[in-house]
Amino acid sequence: MLRYLAKRAITYVFMIFLTTSAGYLLAVSTLQPALLEQERIPRPTPEQVVNSFRLKGLDPTLNPWERYVDWLTGIVTRWDWGRSPNGAFINAEFGDRVWISTRLFLASIILTLVIGVALGVYTAARQYKASDRAITSYSYLMYIVPAPIAYFLVQLGAININESVGERVFFVTGISTPGLDGDGWAQLVDMLAHYAVPTFAITIVGWGAYQIAQRQYLLDNVNADFVRTARAKGLTRNQAISRHALRVSFIPVAQSIAFTIPAIFAGGFFAEKIFAWHGVGSWSIDSIALQDVNAATATLAYGSVIFAVGAILADFATTLVDPRVRVQ
Amino acid sequence: MTSDTTTQTTAERLRVAGLHAPTDAVLSVRDLNVRFNTENGVVHAVRGIDFDVMPGKTLGIVGESGSGKSVTSMAIMGLLPPTAEISGSVRLQGKELLGLSDKAMCRHRGSDLAMVFQDPLSSLTPVYTVGTQIIEALTVHNPSMSKQAKEARAVELLGLVGIPSPKDRLKAFPHEFSGGMRQRVMIAIAIANNPRVLIADEPTTALDVTIQAQVLEVLHAAQEETGAAVVMITHDLGVVAGMADDIMVMYAGRPVETGSVDDIYYSPRMPYTMGLLGAVPRVDVAEKSSLVPIDGIPPNLTQPPTGCSFAPRCPLASEACLDGEPDLRAVAPGAGHRAACIKSEALADVDVHAVFAVPAVPVSRFDSLPRHERKTVLELRDVRKHFPLMKGALLKRRIGTVKAVDGLSFDIREGECFSIVGESGCGKTTTLLEIMEFHKDQDGEVVIGGLSNKQAADARAKGAMRKELQMVFQDPTGALDPRFTVYEVLAEPMENLGMPKPAIRKRIMELMELVGLQADHVNRFPNQFSGGQRQRIGIARALAVNPRLVVLDEPVSALDVSVQAGVINLLDKLRAELGLSYLMVAHDLSVVRHISNRVAVMYLGKIVEIGDVDAVFDNPRHPYTRALLSAIPVPDPELERTRERIILQGDLPSPLEAPAGCNFATRCPVFAALPPAKQEKCLTLEPALEPAAIDQQFACFYPDGELDADMVVVHENH
Repeated sequence: MLRYLAKRAITYVFMIFLTTSAGYLLAVSTLQPALLEQERIPRPTPEQVVNSFRLKGLDPTLNPWERYVDWLTGIVTRWDWGRSPNGAFINAEFGDRVWISTRLFLASIILTLVIGVALGVYTAARQYKASDRAITSYSYLMYIVPAPIAYFLVQLGAININESVGERVFFVTGISTPGLDGDGWAQLVDMLAHYAVPTFAITIVGWGAYQIAQRQYLLDNVNADFVRTARAKGLTRNQAISRHALRVSFIPVAQSIAFTIPAIFAGGFFAEKIFAWHGVGSWSIDSIALQDVNAATATLAYGSVIFAVGAILADFATTLVDPRVRVQ
Repeated sequence: MTSDTTTQTTAERLRVAGLHAPTDAVLSVRDLNVRFNTENGVVHAVRGIDFDVMPGKTLGIVGESGSGKSVTSMAIMGLLPPTAEISGSVRLQGKELLGLSDKAMCRHRGSDLAMVFQDPLSSLTPVYTVGTQIIEALTVHNPSMSKQAKEARAVELLGLVGIPSPKDRLKAFPHEFSGGMRQRVMIAIAIANNPRVLIADEPTTALDVTIQAQVLEVLHAAQEETGAAVVMITHDLGVVAGMADDIMVMYAGRPVETGSVDDIYYSPRMPYTMGLLGAVPRVDVAEKSSLVPIDGIPPNLTQPPTGCSFAPRCPLASEACLDGEPDLRAVAPGAGHRAACIKSEALADVDVHAVFAVPAVPVSRFDSLPRHERKTVLELRDVRKHFPLMKGALLKRRIGTVKAVDGLSFDIREGECFSIVGESGCGKTTTLLEIMEFHKDQDGEVVIGGLSNKQAADARAKGAMRKELQMVFQDPTGALDPRFTVYEVLAEPMENLGMPKPAIRKRIMELMELVGLQADHVNRFPNQFSGGQRQRIGIARALAVNPRLVVLDEPVSALDVSVQAGVINLLDKLRAELGLSYLMVAHDLSVVRHISNRVAVMYLGKIVEIGDVDAVFDNPRHPYTRALLSAIPVPDPELERTRERIILQGDLPSPLEAPAGCNFATRCPVFAALPPAKQEKCLTLEPALEPAAIDQQFACFYPDGELDADMVVVHENH
């Protein structure tokens, strides 16, 4: 298993290298931060711009290949991902951003999975009953409603609650109250008040997909021959479903779970923007708007890494639940 | 039990039923009715079934697909979906089972009432080891049993059903077992708690004949071990002939004839039973007569029948038959043999061929010509197909060779039917594919109608070859495009040859008549036809371009017995009338014997015996042919009970593990009985097909050798 993982990891490192390099070359030949500098007041002279960029390692006079070699040398020798046009160091910025994104999504990913799969099982066992119809319709609705609209609605709801209660229970934006003093308890309450709204919003939008998938795969297996065998042994219908059908139906779900982790990251842009959590998602979009070559490439590299992790997790999850799959 | 019973209340019926149930029956079913609500209306799938099974006895339920036999078994087990409406009475050791909740039913299922299902490949949960699955059956009913005791019992059960080294195999997953082995595991699960009643629903239908023989033997052993009553559900009259004590023949959801096995097989009194028995070709009979076809299709069960449900297909039907459904009545006063036919008294000692319109045996113009004077239509010379077995993802290396077809030579003359038989995996289908491939880079020579694959390289020559040779496929439903009308299906090959439109139209009308379909049905789609009719369309398509050789890949294996007979008769007729030659691949040796002139027995890519079909089947020389033939159940109870059976050990070995000498040595019953000195020869030298005076060649050093006693089974006192 370890050998297999190592082999896969090497393949993915190679692929990440290719996508990142291609991304860098594309970014460096199309993004022109110097043009943005021209809009400053007072307008700097072109020489000033070139000088300032040269100091930050963003010399616009070098050709893309030379800049690529410099950039790559920096990463390989010093693990230095370069600087932004405004002078910020990518390495420093990156750590903060990843941590914020992770905090924003971790709880909701877990909740999404657990609730989605559990509801999928629940509705499959009650196919075509009122509860199944209600939950499944809701999930399809969430497929259709664009995520930003759902997020805004949740925000509005939270604001309504705040207003009707008369004090600020929930924070609809931000990570924490700046300059909050107080003991651990106050800090915790503050954190929860900030976490509640985005986590709730992302979760209720996200679980639909898992509910539909799990319900469908389980229904495919509920009438399988091996479930009939289990019932013929003396298991009740529900026991047979939960012991035999569930595990088999979870195989494709496990795979899709692993693969949607990077997808959530990619879709995180809206959530980060709307709830004003400045994570990787909003950074990747902002960096393109600001013509920031190094930041755009760094977010791309991060996306590739997350995807590779998802793919390895998917393999791992499949081998874990399905004995027919053997890694070699 | 006819229309007036529906006016009785359930309580009344149960009271009457209870009075008539014999006290010693372990399972009593009375007036069982099952209805399903479907989009097309209420389907009355089972319409009033009564039977009793005594401890240690076997009841065979026989019928075609849709006759309600599987629904009956599922109703007894309580495994029908909740939407099914079930009425009547099912008593297990005196206790009423119908109406019990799922939970209450669970105390019986798997404990005193167990079941073996048809498809062993899908009946075991793929993600648990077989040990877990057997132990689960023990845990459910014996919560107090210790872990060691359960494991020991599981090992014992696996040993009982004949799985080698059971202790290690406990940890194996189902996908590591072959189909036959999985069915053994299913039987082990079913008998884990010593059931009083064991229901087996088509337990061997999905298996090869040699494996079928093994599994039937295991079922027999399991019954002896547990003393359970067995309800054996099957469409194969041969399978139950040797096993059952009583038979119930079902048609359109009702029993139409019940009685002891001898009553049913030797003096059937219901035209449907007679037809079924006459429709089955016999592997042990050389005499050539046409099979009994039963025309028409079973009735639609959404409409309550007003007369005898078989009347529309029955050659004896009269006005009286249409007046109310006949009850099951004793054929003679006091006899246990009952038939649902108003004419049953008159049917004693009547030959089935006199009842049904059996076509005369067709005579071909080639039949009078000696074989060597006829032209060769297909010849194979030393054809090989080896697949390399690779390992590794990026850098592949060859770790072995699968010899799917290994040096095959035979020829087919005009007007003859040549069949290839063997277990699945022996290379039958690959042989057909190699013939259809017809490429000059193939290993070996294929000559079709005088045209060799070594010379014919261009597309025109290949087109000429295609005109000579056409194919009929196994699954008539899958082989026809559902979006094509019959006209389009039949016109396509002729359009390819560039025939003018009016000629195509004329030819299609001819073809429809030729295969026994109504000419005005050409604008229908395949789904508007029954399975047998679809296969007729497939045959018509193959004949459209007037080929000389038709390749038949399992042409009737997807069809019901009564329909199968009609298609076989049609094939026989076409061969004689059109002077066709057939190359047939089939696993049903009875069908092969009936239709073929010559036969080749294949084992692991090689022909082990080839020759005239009567010579090979009546006097098989190769031990594999002997085993194969002895594995086929014959629809004759007397013969089945007394005949000697060779039960081969294990499955077909993987072609990778093919031994150096004789391929068959690992499973050979003769080899096992040989002294070591003689065994040496089998292990080192490869036997070749020896030329012989008569038309029968075989590849074996010790053709008439003594059989190993362990592999021969006789059920003397059944």
